[in-house]
Amino acid sequence: MIFHNAKGIQIDGRKDMCKKHPLIDYLNPDTVYIPLIQRHLKLKPKVDVGDSVKIGQVVAEVGGFGAITSHASISGEVKSFKKVWHSSGKMVEAIEIKNDFKNQLDDRIKEVKNVKELTREELVEIMKDSGLTGLGGAGFPSYIKYQTKEDIHTVIINAVECEPYLTCDYQFIIRFAEKLIKGATYMQRAADANKIVIAYKNYNSKVVEVLKPYLEKYSNIELFPIKDIYPAGWEKYIVEQVTGKTYSTLPAEIGVIVNNSATAIIFSDAVERNIPLISRPVSITGEGVKEPKTFFVPLGTKVSELIDQCGGYVEGLDPMQANYIAGGPMTGRAILIDDLVVNDTLGAVIVKPFEIRDYPECLGCGKCADVCPVYLTPTEIKKAYERKDLRLLDLLDASKCMECGLCSYICPSHVEITDAVSKGKALLKKGAK
Amino acid sequence: MARFAGGKAPFLRIANEKGENTKRIMRDFLIGLMPVILFSWYKNGIQVYLDGNINVYEMLYPLFFIITGGLLAYVMEGLFFYITSDKKERDFKGVLRKLNTSFAIIPGVILALLLPLYTPIWILMFAAFIATIVGKMLFGGFGNNVFNPALLGYAIVGFTFSGIVTDINVIFNGSEIIIDSYAGATPLGVLSSFRGSGDALSYSALVEPYGNLWDFFLGTIPGALGETSALAILIGFLWLTYRKVIKWFTPVIYIGTVFVISWLIGIIAGDSGVWFPTYSILTGGVMFAAVYMATEPVTTPTNPLGKIFFALFLGVLTVLFRFVGSLPEGVGTSLIVMNIFAIPIDTYSGIIRTKLTKKPGIAYASILIGVLLILVVYTLVASGSMYTANLSFINAWQVIL
Repeated sequence: MIFHNAKGIQIDGRKDMCKKHPLIDYLNPDTVYIPLIQRHLKLKPKVDVGDSVKIGQVVAEVGGFGAITSHASISGEVKSFKKVWHSSGKMVEAIEIKNDFKNQLDDRIKEVKNVKELTREELVEIMKDSGLTGLGGAGFPSYIKYQTKEDIHTVIINAVECEPYLTCDYQFIIRFAEKLIKGATYMQRAADANKIVIAYKNYNSKVVEVLKPYLEKYSNIELFPIKDIYPAGWEKYIVEQVTGKTYSTLPAEIGVIVNNSATAIIFSDAVERNIPLISRPVSITGEGVKEPKTFFVPLGTKVSELIDQCGGYVEGLDPMQANYIAGGPMTGRAILIDDLVVNDTLGAVIVKPFEIRDYPECLGCGKCADVCPVYLTPTEIKKAYERKDLRLLDLLDASKCMECGLCSYICPSHVEITDAVSKGKALLKKGAK
Repeated sequence: MARFAGGKAPFLRIANEKGENTKRIMRDFLIGLMPVILFSWYKNGIQVYLDGNINVYEMLYPLFFIITGGLLAYVMEGLFFYITSDKKERDFKGVLRKLNTSFAIIPGVILALLLPLYTPIWILMFAAFIATIVGKMLFGGFGNNVFNPALLGYAIVGFTFSGIVTDINVIFNGSEIIIDSYAGATPLGVLSSFRGSGDALSYSALVEPYGNLWDFFLGTIPGALGETSALAILIGFLWLTYRKVIKWFTPVIYIGTVFVISWLIGIIAGDSGVWFPTYSILTGGVMFAAVYMATEPVTTPTNPLGKIFFALFLGVLTVLFRFVGSLPEGVGTSLIVMNIFAIPIDTYSGIIRTKLTKKPGIAYASILIGVLLILVVYTLVASGSMYTANLSFINAWQVIL
């Protein structure tokens, strides 16, 4: 239909700049800072200043809904608790651990013998113990998805990575293809599903190349190419492409669980060797960095160290005139300082020159409404937000917005429309309570 | 450690990346007007000069008239910016910078294209004043105007100086004025003389004085500067859709609606030939309005569904005002009315679009469709009775039912 054909648009990926180097290990930073925050939940530290910790040891936890634990990502001594910059754009309390470079493993980390005999409940318990969260960016604890009462038939592994610049998932898969397959099968067992679908971007032929040898062994795994458009990595889009069905809030409604590919790789380690979530891949990229690279780093590493590993900033970059983005360029957040720590949701840090945004007036061309993947009318939501008209915001379904950023991307007048819509969404949420 | 500039997500903007910004859209729009400008120059200048009816300087007059329209709007807007700016920044550079993002020339050029060739310059000046100052700047400048500025200027002049604007000496170019068969000036002037006269609409009375429908398509008939040539407008349409400045379906649905309803009226009036609806869409600036004014982004709905509703309503109202209203052309009047209703249509269609199958969506959709249907029926009944020699008002009802 004419007015319902929005299905994303193609954006220049610029992923090549970060693909020149393979995934680089950077496993022994001098100091790490484990943030005491998980989404909006504050974590309670379980260590004190002066304690010595080992890799994998629980250092903080929180109970209740979304209960989660954080683990030490290096071995060493707890130096202090101090505030550090976090990818949410705020300063948060964190545990500072000084590396002793002995790489002592916690007692829990050992080869698990009876992998094949683990039951569904045990697998979900491992997922919970290892503090596994969605590494795609949402940071939602993974085990909650698997505690569903619904009958799950398919596990979809999201390896699409539709945001421009980002290559961390891609390079992680190339390096750990076998772990991805194994992690996916453990997830399938944890969900009691009978099928695994790995969704990837259709131009990433190398993903097929590295995964193909395993497909013969596991007959229930299927590769599913996704078109090169943004936002193709959106959960709802992938589920719709793979199953042909749509859902309202959670994919479990139609018997599907979607997990990020990096999450699956970490999960295979968690099952086989009981290693919790202590490290993740991070891309340091953008036009402002000398040699963009992707690193495999312990959580809590300072990004400024990684940028030094990339050869620093390009010459002539005026820091006052550069965007410094945590996350992808479409949904990420501008951070004002490069003294940031890597946390579980940080997939990339992008440095690019600041672009001048003028033409403040909306001319009403309607490109934002054309491109919206959930068929909203952003201009109307913006007006309703400016009038604080809650009823109209509800009628216009502002809460449906997933903040993909396409409306601001396409706007010829540089209107900060995504921002206005997400504020309208927040207002609606606040007003509804 | 380094500190960085902030900014809001997303950090990629197509306006910077591929230069697809407002300035480019407006430039493309101006280029899209070129076929119409060139054709009207050819028809009213070059061709007449080749016929030997005017001299070389008079040949350049159509072009001069259009450029004057653009310049007048530009200068007036510049003056407005100069007067309203703060004392500190009241300088030439500041005004130029504001003009740069205000796109003042376009309403002026469109205004000139809407007016007949020999409209006195002082009328053009007055119309440009209404267009840019009253229609645009008083509403808050580019992006905030409710009415299409050029159209507002044209409408005010059309209502107040209708004697001058419809005068034969103003409308006809040097060649047309000596053709005998052009009795009642423009084709729509001829059409309006049928009102209540009791005569049946006929091909020989409406089309033949001007040649045939092919002449209507090419645009060699008398009329305002820009509105006559469907061919030139079609070229502009193709360019604008290719550059994604306008949506293809707005003009198509608008023209289609005018076509279908005119056809129905023709059937009611006793002539079911396709010539009548074809004639209907080729006269009175329907084509020009469809491509250059019904698609104007600021004063029409933003979302695609709203654009569809807008085009449907506009088509019905055009026919209603043309066949029933007291002014011969219905395009301008209907556009002015619809410019106001673009605002609620935008909100309604925004709701319908997202809640397509839910309760509020269905409710709002039925309101819009209901209003549309009532308008269609009213148009058919009212205009059917006006032009029918054989059928009375009551009989028209029986034909519909």
